[in-house]
Parts: sequence; C-alpha cells; structure tokens
Amino acid sequence: MKDQWTDRLSEYLDGELAGSERTALEAHLASCGNCRATLEELRRVVGRARALDDRLPTADLWPGIAEHIGVVSLAARRARRRLSFTVPQLAAASVALALVSGGAVWLLGGRTHAPTATAATEVGRRPAPLINASAYPTDPRYAAQVAALERALQRGRSQLDTATVRIIEKNLKIIDRAIRDAQSALVADPGSAYLNLHLAQEMRRKLELLREAANLAGARS
Amino acid sequence: MLTTLATLATFALAQQTDTTVPVRTGARLEVSNFGGEIAVKTWSRNAVRVVADHSSRDRILVDALDQVVRVKAEGGRRGPSQVDYVITVPAWMALSLSGVYTDIKVDGAQNEVRAETVQGEVSVVGGSGNVSLKSVQGSVTLEKARGRIDLNTVNEEIRATDISGDIAVETVNGDITLTQIESANTEANTVNGDVSYDGTIKDGGRYRFTTHDGDLRVSVPEKASVTVTVSTFDGDFSACFPVQLSRKSKHRFDLTIGAGSARLELESFNGDIHLCRPGQVMKPEGDHHNQEH
Repeated sequence: MKDQWTDRLSEYLDGELAGSERTALEAHLASCGNCRATLEELRRVVGRARALDDRLPTADLWPGIAEHIGVVSLAARRARRRLSFTVPQLAAASVALALVSGGAVWLLGGRTHAPTATAATEVGRRPAPLINASAYPTDPRYAAQVAALERALQRGRSQLDTATVRIIEKNLKIIDRAIRDAQSALVADPGSAYLNLHLAQEMRRKLELLREAANLAGARS
Repeated sequence: MLTTLATLATFALAQQTDTTVPVRTGARLEVSNFGGEIAVKTWSRNAVRVVADHSSRDRILVDALDQVVRVKAEGGRRGPSQVDYVITVPAWMALSLSGVYTDIKVDGAQNEVRAETVQGEVSVVGGSGNVSLKSVQGSVTLEKARGRIDLNTVNEEIRATDISGDIAVETVNGDITLTQIESANTEANTVNGDVSYDGTIKDGGRYRFTTHDGDLRVSVPEKASVTVTVSTFDGDFSACFPVQLSRKSKHRFDLTIGAGSARLELESFNGDIHLCRPGQVMKPEGDHHNQEH
C-alpha cells in the first residue's frame, strides 16, 4: 500500500527533508510497517549502489567508457548523484552503477589486448551475439549499456573456450528469463517494491556476469 | 597398439617434482595453475612441500621469498600446463590459489583462503578471516570455516557446513545449502535453484535469502527474535509452527517471532517458502531442484 510518505522516503534517506517534515515522517514510520520496510529496502539498495561505486576504476578510464556507452561523465554523475528517486528509479540506479563498473573493468582489460582480440574475430567466423540486448525495450539506456558490454565481450570471445562460452550463454539466458518474468509481473503491479527490487537484482546480476565473462576473456587474451 | 604406444608415451613424459622449502611465520602461499588440480593439506612444520605431477616438458617453479611462496609451472613455448599439485603447508599459512581448468582442494587451513577457478570444483575444509571461494563451472564447498565468507559460482551448487561469521553466497544455476551456520549476517542468492538455511537467527542479525525459480527452506530457532518478510509472486508459504501473518502488499507479508529484533528476508518469485525448526529444513539427499544442464 502506498501512502503520502512513500515517495518521500528517498528524500528522507538523503537528508533532504525539512525539519518539520522529517519529524512528521519519523512519527509516521513509528506506526507504519510498510514504510519502514520500504525504507529498509531503499537503504539496502543504496548500500549496494555505494558498494558498487567503490569499485569504480581510476578516473582517467572514464572518458573512454563514456564515449563507448554514451553516458554522462563520471564527474557529472557524481556531482548529480542524489538519491531523490522513486523505488524503481533507485533500484535502476544500482544497476547503472554496476554497469559503469563492469564497462570500466572490460575496457581496462580490453584496451591492452584489443588488436589480438579484433584480429581473432576477423579471421574466424563471426559468432552469434551472446544474447539479444533488445529484449529490454522499456529501458533503452540499460539495453544500450548491456549491448556495449556484449560487444566488448564479443571481441574477446575467441579467448574463451567453447565450454565456458556455453556456460555463460546458458546462465545469461536463465537471468534473462528471470528479468522477463519480473517485467511481466510488474506490468500488473508496477508499484510493487518487491518486484521492482527483484528486477533490479536480476538486471544487476546480468551485468555482473557479463563483467565477469569480459574479465575472463580479457585475462586470457 | 596405437593406444598402447600412446599410453607408453604418456608415461614416458610424466614426471614428478618434489621440493620442500622453509617458510617464515606470516608468509603466504600463492599457486597458479592452468589445468589439473591444486590440493593443499597442512602439517605442523614451518615448511612448504610441493609435490607436482607434470609433463617432463614443464618446469615447476617454487619461488620462496620472505613473505610469500609462489608456485607455478613454466611450459615454455608450448603454452599453459596441466599439473597436479599436492602441497603441504603450515596450518597458519594464508592461501591464494588460482586455476583455469583446475580443481582446488584445501584441508586444514587456519588462515585466509582465496581460491578461484573457471572450470573446476572448489572444496575447502578450514579457513578463517577472509575466505573467498569462486568458480564458474564447478561446485563450491566449504566446511569448518569462520570469518568473512564469500562463496560464488555460476553454474553449480554451493554448500557450506559448520561456518561462523558473515556469509555471502551467490550462484545463478544451482542450489545453495547452508547448514550448522553461526552467523548474524548471511545473504544467499540464486536464480535457478533452492536455498536451504539451517543455523542461528541472532538478535539484531540480518538474513536474506532469495531465488527466482526455486524453493526456500529456512530454520528459525524456537526462541528467536525476528521479523520475517516473505515475498513471492507465484509461490506458497508454509511453516512447521504456528505463525501470525500480516499482509503488507499483494506479494508480501510479514510475521514477527518474539520481539522481532533480527530481520529475515525471504524472496522466491516462483517457488515456495518454508519455515521450520533447526534440523528440519534439509531435504533428503539427492532431492535437488531441477538445475538446467
């Protein structure tokens, strides 16, 4: 159930509520288990997002990443990083942070070995994409960023043996199915904190697996 | 005949290296391998013994420095090697073990353990402090460890038994089974698999178990003080003991046991969620979720 305070929780977390509003919200929290639970979930997402942020690479990598995946600069992201979002937006933010980290790690490994990986791809039959990023038309930014990671992984794919590629593909499909399930469920119940967070968790997990695969390919090239 | 010749050739090329080096207290062991096995066991001597079965074309390098003993194989232009290591170390030694097509086994460790492989099983008995075990295609098993525990695989199951400390466990396609756990902070996630937890629920503790397509079976001791949040889209909830449910939304409800000081979050999108008493949550051996192969 959503009440007047539900959408103010992220502001509360961010310390942006005026004193009187803060007092009123805290009084409300004492009697509203639903808001307490949502607040706890928001704290968890924020905690995870911050943990992911800690894994960002050194700043000099970012211009290349930004150019590669077409997003704003890290400095701008940090400057504007405020947590005044709805639950779904906040959940998506944690995914975006994971992606930034994943993309950076790929570029870190991929840049050094790019000529080898490119050559290997060009001489061989071009393999099919690992997955189809267009499966997420409702979130174009996420889809674009996943596609960027997939392209990067594609370049290093020849460095992985077929069994490893098969395992990664299979598990990406499992995660994709979970993402689609969550998306379908959200159509019927878009305000569900559980479904939003579940979707965010699976999206983040996909990014982590893509990043891990890219790391493996980079390490082996 | 050809098989016999090939076998003879294999034997002819096989070689064993057996080296022992002294180590100072506090030194760590680092082993990297490509294919084969890394088996580590412990003894009371301040020395590291490396026994390696390998091709005669490979050379085993044991680099004993002040603070670290590094072990690896050098295969020359032929590329990475297949080596089976049996390494005996002091129990106090921290371990850092990595491989690609490598199984990793550790028995008796009393310090930090980091083990990573791509295609291979990781099985560790012992460990304290940071214990981090990781595989992509291979099961991960940990017993008798304490500290900050991080277990991760992609396409297999994870089992942890007799563990104390903060625990984080994650796989994509496999079951997670946690038994005899003493923890105030445990999180276990899978996408396609069951999660079972049999352990403590400590006052003020945090526990989170999630799966997308699988069942959750979690123990709650009789005198626990815990607020349980249950979330499912298409599953059922049941408990072995009487509980009072409080529905919070279409897909979520709470229940409070005792004063509710700990927080236990249970989420299964498609599966069932079952609460029981300690000792009652484990499924019979062989009753696994339908893992995708």
